Amino acid sequence: MADRNFRLGCDIGGTFTDFVLLNDDTGEIYTAKCLTTPKDPSDAVEEGIKILSKKVPGFISELKEFIHGTTLVINSIIERKGAKTGLITTKGFRDVLEIGREIRYAPYDIFAEFPKPLVPRHLRMEVDERIRSDGSVLRPLNPDEVRSVVKRLVSKGVESIAVCLINSFENPSHERMIEEIINEEAPWISTSISYKVLPQIREYERTSTTVTNAYVKPLTEKYLSNLKERLQRLGFRGKLFIMLSSGGITSVETAKEFPVRIIESGPTAAVIAAQYYGKHFNISEMFCFDMGGTTAKSCLIQKGEAGVVPTFEVGRVQRFMKGSGLTIQVPVVDLMEIGAGGGSIAKISKMGTLKVGPESAGADPGPICYDRGGEDPCVTDADLLLGYLDESYFLGGEMKLNKDKARYGIEEKIAKPLKVTLTQAIWGIHDLINETMAAAAKTHIAEKGGNPKIVTIAAFGGAGPVHAYGLAKKLGAKKIMVPPNAGVGSAMGFFTAPRAFDALVSHKVSLSKADFSEIEDIFKKLEREAASTLFVEYSKEGIIFTRSVDMRFVGQGSEISVPVSYKPFYEFKKEEIRRIFDECYEKLYGRTYPESEVEFINFKVRAQLPEKLLKLSKIEKKANKNLQEAVKGKRLAFSQLKKEFIPFTVYDRYKIFPGAKFYGPAIIEERESTVVAGEDTEISVDDYGFLWIEIKGG
Amino acid sequence: MGSLFDPITIEILWRRLISIVDEADSSVARTAFSSLLRDAHDYTCMFTDRFGRELAQGTFATPGQSGAMALGIKKLINSFPEGYFRPGDVLITNDPWILAGHLNDVCVLSPIFYKDKLVAYTACVFHHSDIGGRVASDNHDVFEEGLFIPPVKLFEKGVLNQAIMDIIRWNVRTPEQVIGDIRSQIAANHVCSEKIKQMMEETELETLDDLAEQIIMITEKSIREEIEKIPDGVYYAEGIIEQPKGKDDIVIKAKVEIRGKDVIVDLTGSSPQVDWGGNVVYNFTYAYVFMAIKSMFAPDIPNNEGCARPITLIAPYGSIVNCKFPAACAARMQIGHFLTEIIYKALSTVLPDRVIAGSGGTPAAMNVFYGRRKDGSQWHSVIIRGGGMGAGLKNDGNYVFIFPANGANTPVEIFENDTPLIVEKRELIPDSGGPGRTRGGLGKREVFRVPDDEYAPLPPVNLGIQAGRYVYPPEGLFGGKPGRRGVFLVNGKEGNPYGLTQLMPGDVVTIDAPGGGGYGDPYERDPDLVLNDVIEGYVSIEGALRDYGVYINPDTMEINFEKTRDLRERKFKM
Repeated sequence: MADRNFRLGCDIGGTFTDFVLLNDDTGEIYTAKCLTTPKDPSDAVEEGIKILSKKVPGFISELKEFIHGTTLVINSIIERKGAKTGLITTKGFRDVLEIGREIRYAPYDIFAEFPKPLVPRHLRMEVDERIRSDGSVLRPLNPDEVRSVVKRLVSKGVESIAVCLINSFENPSHERMIEEIINEEAPWISTSISYKVLPQIREYERTSTTVTNAYVKPLTEKYLSNLKERLQRLGFRGKLFIMLSSGGITSVETAKEFPVRIIESGPTAAVIAAQYYGKHFNISEMFCFDMGGTTAKSCLIQKGEAGVVPTFEVGRVQRFMKGSGLTIQVPVVDLMEIGAGGGSIAKISKMGTLKVGPESAGADPGPICYDRGGEDPCVTDADLLLGYLDESYFLGGEMKLNKDKARYGIEEKIAKPLKVTLTQAIWGIHDLINETMAAAAKTHIAEKGGNPKIVTIAAFGGAGPVHAYGLAKKLGAKKIMVPPNAGVGSAMGFFTAPRAFDALVSHKVSLSKADFSEIEDIFKKLEREAASTLFVEYSKEGIIFTRSVDMRFVGQGSEISVPVSYKPFYEFKKEEIRRIFDECYEKLYGRTYPESEVEFINFKVRAQLPEKLLKLSKIEKKANKNLQEAVKGKRLAFSQLKKEFIPFTVYDRYKIFPGAKFYGPAIIEERESTVVAGEDTEISVDDYGFLWIEIKGG
Repeated sequence: MGSLFDPITIEILWRRLISIVDEADSSVARTAFSSLLRDAHDYTCMFTDRFGRELAQGTFATPGQSGAMALGIKKLINSFPEGYFRPGDVLITNDPWILAGHLNDVCVLSPIFYKDKLVAYTACVFHHSDIGGRVASDNHDVFEEGLFIPPVKLFEKGVLNQAIMDIIRWNVRTPEQVIGDIRSQIAANHVCSEKIKQMMEETELETLDDLAEQIIMITEKSIREEIEKIPDGVYYAEGIIEQPKGKDDIVIKAKVEIRGKDVIVDLTGSSPQVDWGGNVVYNFTYAYVFMAIKSMFAPDIPNNEGCARPITLIAPYGSIVNCKFPAACAARMQIGHFLTEIIYKALSTVLPDRVIAGSGGTPAAMNVFYGRRKDGSQWHSVIIRGGGMGAGLKNDGNYVFIFPANGANTPVEIFENDTPLIVEKRELIPDSGGPGRTRGGLGKREVFRVPDDEYAPLPPVNLGIQAGRYVYPPEGLFGGKPGRRGVFLVNGKEGNPYGLTQLMPGDVVTIDAPGGGGYGDPYERDPDLVLNDVIEGYVSIEGALRDYGVYINPDTMEINFEKTRDLRERKFKM
């Protein structure tokens, strides 16, 4: 069986766990989807592997890589279900975490709310030590004091301790000592030390990031260990990876140490997949739209690139408002996530109007139609009653939906109280959630300088293809792309993620005083370090290095990144480097000032393995194939244009073929999702089996 | 008026304008030199149409600058003849009477040309940490306060007027920083201009006039609708503001009239202007009156010219709230920031759920530290600071914030990098929030030490302060108690917060920012909330008993409900 070269991608979402099994040699793909098991997410993983094993017996022992993403970490922060965490900091500064940066993010809103810190004040303890800003010791640390502080925290029941001292990024010796003492005094306590998590200036950002890491570390460790054990028990011998918020992938060991870097690991996968498709099909403005059971994630991808931002916020207390969340300074793909999914609950607001989301019924009990005890009407219930979903073909028929219960629930809880017809109620739910998503999408697209009318929407997730048409109508977008297996398609992103490692060293020196031979040594050392990390995590072959330097005018507070070509640094002339800097600066800010002195701040190396291309396998064209063979029949479903039920033609996605072209109203069913296209659409199928829906009307 | 945009398009273009200004705004953090800008965000970026009408401002703007700019930019642009601006021009001024009320606020304005036509302006006001002059609140006229730059072209058709840069360079203590920050302003305008042009190109707009008209119209309509919901009436309030020792209090009288869809604020009867730096120019007074009205009627509408249209302000010329040139005005925030809470006080009876009690961040506090290091090199750092905000009907006061202005703190690690000083504390002050049914926000203590070891700077270290509320604490509302006053100590003894303080190696300075006022009777506060405050150390056990009538057993940290009930009932019988 030497020809079997498998990788498995797995996305553990709030409601569903999605699986894509890829045979790298043939490009063949197998998929599975099952309900997430929040108590122990690895239950669902085992379940999914069992489903796949039926299709590809024995694959697990031949699996090279298991790459996954999860929303577990972010959910534990949003729901405040992380570990009881303590903080040890420098005397005089225990309130840094609570005081934050003091800016009012909504200057005219005097009632703006701010998030509560993850560590309450009574669990923030001080030690009498001090490092100066140049790294020298002003007041030495007293180990006995540390011991007593650790004991006090332990007696208060903390499971995890964050350590962040003033100026520790210049000299971490005191933080190291505290770490050792915690390990001696209470080895079972999880520790997060700021010089390891984020060795950067600015105490609030460093403390907040370190504390967040501490807050989610015990739970992430437990979860990853469980998963690893479970996979081994099932016969897995390959490497286990997890997706980083920045779009790369990393080892389980790194993820356990720095869970703060995998906070957005789940949502990122779809973006990485869309980015790949955007490049493959050369789409300049693509809007990745991934709607699952709990949330909808979206991201504008311009010229095949999604933005990555150096810092982000989690748990915003005021929706969409920058500044209203907890600051986390790690790179993350610039995506927008809102509480809108198939499981979003519809209810009547205090003002007597219809409200949908952001609360979700999740996997358990789920929407009413799942028949698992859910009593709250959800978006999926409405989608079912609108005729978009087939009660007997949900998850390819593995799960039977209960239409009568859904109807009764919406009738009683929405239609009657609002004094509207059932049809008005179900359409209202569907339309309102689309409106919510469209509002968020518009903000996101506008902020990135895009134009919603020219984007191609890439629909992913179980509910994505169901709602993409309605979203497109609201955005004025004309084109929708639905990849094969769209319902689990985001998991494709796990295979296309770049395999790279970034290494950086800070070394402040002015251009005029810099010794370029010394700098070459710095680069060489960074390359060795990056290569060895890559080697541990992946392989040694074919590593590509790229170099850059961060530079600024002497006196500025932040730098610009200046790429330098790959050659021994001492071969550069100083004027050459200066010219490159001035070009970069002028491009960004319009003017540069060649007479003012510049300095180096950071030297950076990226080591990258050649992109492992996905084989998008072309589907064989068969001449004279009859599209009628793909038609399952007709079904009454709700027309968004006519506002009434009309017959939609229902197609079997597995039987439509490249080159096929047909018109809406159409419903195209696949196992994990359903594509809905109104009567003003033309649908074509390309060589790879992607659906391209063009909206003709306004 | 030309063609109307459909609701979706207008929303998209509007949001895009705001995000463009935000982009310009965030470029400052990357290009600025002084920490007051890059860390404390004491600047505002704005975008106006070709008539100078504000269309968008940076989300993290400070209302004093933005409100004053909204008036000032329009006036400035209209003072020039048509055709005055050419592509590549950049204008600079810090005239306090044209813009934001003191010399440190320097405005850089650039016209935006698209296809050879003037389509809009972009402007930014930065609070420069140094503009020369004598750094204190007690100067007697504006000439003592630093360099005065009238509106002049810093660049003419893209060519720098080096003479202006040289004049600036030789009138400030830290020329590298000041020049660097002016360059950062030019860069911010550049970012805004480029993105606007790109937007016009992509959306095939030849002019922004129709867009401007429609944005302003929608905004005006929506704020006027909110004002109309309030019954017509005339409401009065008075604010008493302390002055430096030995001087009488300042009184600001406000008459606020709601008439249909308009709000008319009349400050007639307020104190005359003073002979120190607390004088407020009209624009700055307007800015904080505007802040009050906007926050009550339309807190979430993006700010632009439309928000201002329903507001009329009358402020007598020559009074503290509309001072005459050449009055000293460097410390204008010490008085001007109070206007917002005076308007709240006036309207508190009709809009009890939209106002808050007095805030410890009113006025904002500013500290200017400067001196020479051991090696003789100059250092200079300005930090700003807020306090606890006043409580509202349903919420405890937020903390620690500059209010009604806005701005961030300077990280301790940045401050220590920029100066030879050591920060010993930056912490919340227990019991500083005014007791109430909802509690005022907490104040903040900061302690600075001048090293006397091998890191000692050359003496003296100068400290200029602008702040307030050392005498009168932030007031409570509807039975709520005041917050804790501000405190300024040098080596444990009361210092003079209005003069220039000279510090020696070994000296320790303590600066306590005030707490916010409470709202409602503190004896009506839920005892569980009081207990929680005690557990977290926001309120002491003694404070819980004294201020809230809640008896907490210090051994068990549990509420003694019987004793609490007795205490609270006894009070009501009295």
